[in-house]
Amino acid sequence: MVEKAYEPSEAELVLLQSRRQRSLKWQEVVGRTGLYTILVAGSVVMLFPLAWMVLTSMKTYEEANAPQLVWIPENPQLTAYIKILNDMDFLRAYANSIFVTLLAVGGTLISVAIVAYAFSRIEWPGRNFVFFLMLSTMMIPFQALIVPQYVFFNKVGWIGTFNPITIPGFFAGGAAMVFLLRQFMLQIPKELSEAALIDGASHLQIWWYIILPLSRPALATVSTFLFVAHWNALLAPLVYLQTKSLYTLPVYVASLVNPQQTVQPWPTIMAASVLTTAPLIIAFLFAQRYLIGGIVLSGTKG
Amino acid sequence: MMWSSYLYTLAWAAITVGFIVVSSAAVGLVARLVARMRGATLRQQHDTFAGYAFASPWIVGFLIFVLLPVLASVYWSFTSYRLPNPPQWVGLQNYVRLLTEDRDFRAALVNTFYLVVFGLPAQMVVALMLALLLNQHTRGEGFFRMAFYLPVILGLNSAVLLAWVLMFNANTGFVNVSLRALGAKVPLVNWLVRAFIYVVELTNAFFIGLQNGNYTLLQKILAAGFPPPHRVPLWLQSPLWIKPSIILLLVWSCGSMMLIYLAALNGIPREFYEAAAVDGATKWQRFRHITLPLLSPATFYNLVVGMIAILQLFEQPYVLLRDSPTVARGGYTVVLYLWRATFRFNEVGYGAAISWILTVIILIMTLAQFKLQDRWVQYELR
Repeated sequence: MVEKAYEPSEAELVLLQSRRQRSLKWQEVVGRTGLYTILVAGSVVMLFPLAWMVLTSMKTYEEANAPQLVWIPENPQLTAYIKILNDMDFLRAYANSIFVTLLAVGGTLISVAIVAYAFSRIEWPGRNFVFFLMLSTMMIPFQALIVPQYVFFNKVGWIGTFNPITIPGFFAGGAAMVFLLRQFMLQIPKELSEAALIDGASHLQIWWYIILPLSRPALATVSTFLFVAHWNALLAPLVYLQTKSLYTLPVYVASLVNPQQTVQPWPTIMAASVLTTAPLIIAFLFAQRYLIGGIVLSGTKG
Repeated sequence: MMWSSYLYTLAWAAITVGFIVVSSAAVGLVARLVARMRGATLRQQHDTFAGYAFASPWIVGFLIFVLLPVLASVYWSFTSYRLPNPPQWVGLQNYVRLLTEDRDFRAALVNTFYLVVFGLPAQMVVALMLALLLNQHTRGEGFFRMAFYLPVILGLNSAVLLAWVLMFNANTGFVNVSLRALGAKVPLVNWLVRAFIYVVELTNAFFIGLQNGNYTLLQKILAAGFPPPHRVPLWLQSPLWIKPSIILLLVWSCGSMMLIYLAALNGIPREFYEAAAVDGATKWQRFRHITLPLLSPATFYNLVVGMIAILQLFEQPYVLLRDSPTVARGGYTVVLYLWRATFRFNEVGYGAAISWILTVIILIMTLAQFKLQDRWVQYELR
């Protein structure tokens, strides 16, 4: 005789299910709370140096160097900002950084867009070879080139001028940027330029009137990358500028710390840091989505 | 006076643009001539002209700023060349001196490898954890992603690095003050901090021993035993702590690795997890046998790109070391040493040799990664 297995009644089933659901929900609530706690804690840690920078810039010298930690300055003050904004060398460095970044980003962006067009929208013999050559230059570290380039710039008398950190970009500096833009331009339908070519448009016209407007998101990505790279650049300006009046912000701000002194004027230094970082943060907030798209594009299709 | 340096560069920029236009036209015309001689159609000739003309800013730049410097620097690395004196052939002398005599260079090599061996895995693990957390379809994912990515944008700027210098101050810095305060309240934290100090100091003393072949520091730390309760990390003040400080900064700016992982996680089909859940796989099993293998291409990408970035590290040690010259040898990286050794006394020959050693190391390690990838990188589930 086959024993009949125990079968729960309808009511029991409903009860069981609701109990399971409740425990699931409970688990989920705990899990979610934990998740958000970790995420919030993580962002606090990540953003903390910025907050500390701003807080310190509004402290007095005594507060900034006190053995007992001062979280929030008692009387927040802008003395440090007034001091750094009266520092002619700092203002000069700010102007230098703006000049160098604008010129280098502008020149690089235009030339990169031209070269990317050649690698994506025109069929020409030797294209694959030249493209491969360009990709292989990505293997050579920039630091390996800086020594011979230094000699080269020394020969033409460009040391102690802005030329070495701006002009080379005009030659489509940065193979990664060309690559990123090329990937984007490849996705634009071929028919668009074919039709224009038949109508008698030149490649220069197609580039300017069709491809560039359609590539705007990719151009935004590239210009943000370039802006960040030039605004942060330290090694090349250190090597080539050599005169205080030419220093860009990263070089000048780093020189504000005097290793010979035990107590540093931290509020002033941090005020300079805040003013140096502000353009980066503004650019980041505006261009966030382009940046993130660009990293993923270069990472997953590379 | 102030404007003259800007005007000078603007004038050169205009000259450069003119030069690029002329040289592009010239390159294009030559290419078209060759195409015509080969009997190409008119359309092909037209495209050949346009292709070479459009590509020639890069081609010309490559010749002037890459090929020529590379060839010159290979030659100079075999010479004794101190500007403004002319180079003199010395054969392998620079390389021999670097690899056998120069203790600072050896220190830089050991430091750089230390950062690759300990810093890179730390960066990748944290990036993966952050990506896994963000992948839970959380509200405000955009904000958290931004918060985790922002340090990448800021992390190389010396202004932001100075904020870390301030926070790392051993006595009054934020990090140590809070460690002390927490340790005083919670005994477990105090114990953990001391254990951390012990491990870090032993490891770093061992590496300093590797650098100068003298292990007295390691013996001293072993003899001193477990750190007493009041000890805190010395961060930027001790050669034992400078590399861990740099690693902390590297981990802080792991945001681009996180984005790569996040994109890869988004690409894993839901069905895999559902099927595994039906088969009764636990969370860990699903992570171990579905997520991890399918993330291996992203891991590979992060590994190669991250490794190259660490081998070229410059900004962090430059800013962190300024404060205390005494710890310099504990924190030199290859590129920082390249800068110091070359540009202080215009030692072009020696600097060229350093940069070639660095290039060869990067090439070998990248090629090794590509060779090894077949063993562990999976593009689909097996």
